[in-house]
Amino acid sequence: MTDQNKRIKDYFCKHTTRCTIEGVKKSKRFVGHDVLKADAWDKVTGEAVYPDDIFFDDLLYVKIKRAVHPHAILKDIDISQAKKVEGVVDIVIAEDIPDVRQFGLIIRDQPVLIAPGEKMRYMGDPLAIVVAETKEAAKKARDLIKVKVEELEVITDPFRAMEDDAPDIHPDGNIVITHHLNRGDVDEAFKNSAIVEENRYQTQFIDQLPMQNEAGVALYDERRGVINIWAATQWLHDTQADVAQSLRLSKDQIRIIQPTIGGAFGKKEDVSVHIHLAIAAMRTGRPVKLCFTREESMITQSKRHPITIINKTGVDRDGYLTAWETKFIGDTGAYASSGPAVVHKGMYHATGPYNCPNLRGVSHAVYTNNTYAGAMRGFGTAQGAFAYEQQMDILAEKLSIDPAEFRLKNIYQKDSITPNGQQLTHSVNAEETIKRVMELSDWKGGRK
Amino acid sequence: MKKFGRGLATIMFGFGYGEGFPDHSIASIEIKEDERIVIRTAAADVGQGVITTVIQIAAEILRINPNYFEVVQGDTHKTKNSGSTSATRQTYFTGNAVKKAAEDLLANLYHYGSLEFRSNHPEIAIEDGKIYMYDDPDDYISYWEMAERVRERGKKLEAEGSFFPVTYSPDQNGQADKVYVAYTFLSQVIDIEIDTDTGTIDLLDVYTAVDLGKAINPKNVEGQIEGGTVQGLGMGMMEDQVIRNGKTLNAGMTDYLVPTSVDIPKFKHYLVEEEDSEGPFGAKGVGEPTLIAAAPALANAVYDAIGVRFFDLPISPSKIKKALKEKEKEENS
Repeated sequence: MTDQNKRIKDYFCKHTTRCTIEGVKKSKRFVGHDVLKADAWDKVTGEAVYPDDIFFDDLLYVKIKRAVHPHAILKDIDISQAKKVEGVVDIVIAEDIPDVRQFGLIIRDQPVLIAPGEKMRYMGDPLAIVVAETKEAAKKARDLIKVKVEELEVITDPFRAMEDDAPDIHPDGNIVITHHLNRGDVDEAFKNSAIVEENRYQTQFIDQLPMQNEAGVALYDERRGVINIWAATQWLHDTQADVAQSLRLSKDQIRIIQPTIGGAFGKKEDVSVHIHLAIAAMRTGRPVKLCFTREESMITQSKRHPITIINKTGVDRDGYLTAWETKFIGDTGAYASSGPAVVHKGMYHATGPYNCPNLRGVSHAVYTNNTYAGAMRGFGTAQGAFAYEQQMDILAEKLSIDPAEFRLKNIYQKDSITPNGQQLTHSVNAEETIKRVMELSDWKGGRK
Repeated sequence: MKKFGRGLATIMFGFGYGEGFPDHSIASIEIKEDERIVIRTAAADVGQGVITTVIQIAAEILRINPNYFEVVQGDTHKTKNSGSTSATRQTYFTGNAVKKAAEDLLANLYHYGSLEFRSNHPEIAIEDGKIYMYDDPDDYISYWEMAERVRERGKKLEAEGSFFPVTYSPDQNGQADKVYVAYTFLSQVIDIEIDTDTGTIDLLDVYTAVDLGKAINPKNVEGQIEGGTVQGLGMGMMEDQVIRNGKTLNAGMTDYLVPTSVDIPKFKHYLVEEEDSEGPFGAKGVGEPTLIAAAPALANAVYDAIGVRFFDLPISPSKIKKALKEKEKEENS
């Protein structure tokens, strides 16, 4: 939809969704029915408005100059050649925005622009905002920006990052946060176990890969003092607050309007285009658009945490879990993002849905110079399950029990206690899911 | 040679932010004179279907066809905080907030209805957008007329609902009475075939049973199961952003492998609907849980097929081939 006669107010109305439904007209009940998705029609017909569909006559295009090295001190940035490119309207560097503050989901550790003397910590760190009349001019100017850096040791591995002689990526050290789990007497329980199985698991960097890359449009309403930002976020009011505090404005001055969101899976929890767009809109007084390429999206925005998981699991002769010791070391990359919540959430689910009275765990979220890791569907527990569910199969084989039977022996019931000591008071039908999936798949001792 | 393998995984997922973090959602509903019912929520619909979910819930409570609903979402200046679309929380949190707002509105339809008909609540019927006395269904007031009459009284036919359950922050040993509002459980069996010459995995069948309390929209749950599982299988067998010395080597969809339609297995699922959670109509969230069992079930199926256990992801064809060669060498020596 690129109807160029659209006016600003049209873009304010478009986020409403009228529910259109066929097939349930006569029904009195609507919960539990396959009601057609309310937004399906707009998406299928192309009526849905995504950020790149938003257009204004005097629209400017934004590109971001990013880090040239994963860990380096910026010594000098030279925009003189870039400024000469025809169509360039503005190039913003850190010295132009001295009052702007760092941002971040849990810890505000991400700079809006890196200033000379400061460090770039990964390849996505922003050095300059280029604003031009066309995309091509913005890109050309961006590529003409010259940067001098002093290279530092690139830390690619959280275990290296945790060593005493590793350089600090952030002033407070490389371990962002540590959490513990302690219940019962693990050492005693291992001693009395029939089998103890220890394994080390490793997961990888994954991109959430929503169909839609980060993209947005901003327009500064000078009369009202409000910056309108059309850009996706999974948490509207939190992003609004993060942008406002970074720019030292009130929340009322930041209006975020969601265009149609083309997928997120955790990747759109972090600020992406929002602050840079707001700055460009305020400085130029014109509407501005910034759309990431897929490459830029993959390098710049959050990843699923690679987590090293070391699980030591004990069982008694009858096949009941006795003790579980676990370590979660998560690579959160250059910035904390959701990392301080992801890694220990994984650990809090370390045993899976199985009764285990004795438990010991530790988790660390660790900075490196990799692309930062944040939220992704599963939030640490997908990595954890890869480890605990293989532990269960390995133990079942050693006990010579059907893996389904082994799970049924240990599965949570009402009033079971989770690794956090939470008593499950209601809605615990884990056993039923095993029985049903056995039935559904015609399970016969793990063999078809 | 093709080798068949079958793997099982059972998982849990504590949803909502939990850990004592202030987790809530605020929603409002207004019945308008021009035959619209407007729900306002900041809950982001990223494709999962929260817009449809809240319409179904409000339609059920307000006893009127979903066609009349319009959802205003995603505008900081028109909606209040609904929390994030993450942590598998929107059906539970915003679903409950909308349900509460709808219940308040229904109660007010009875209230104003009883004033208009000079009657008691039990004598009044409300359905299909009409308010009437049981003994005279033809003499009704529509919701839209009622909105007008309420406006004439200087008020609006609208209600706001919030849901704000408590959780507790774990102590230094990770212990607390209630860390998450509730848990979703899921079991999955995955059948595969491995080509021992190429190391490739063919995905055959996926069987899923999920304890979700209640499916507000079974078709959308099916979508979550299939989408989540495929994303989890991507994690299990191919997806890998390769970052060497801080630099991504495969920043693009040419080199970053992700499941496509040719990889999709056949699905069968069973929904365990005990309606026993504190979510709307007993529902629990399913967004994240549907991804989590896939990679471990796949790893267990790979072991079942070729007798090799993989401790690092993804389980790629090159890793499988290498492991098979090593295994052969060991068996021969």
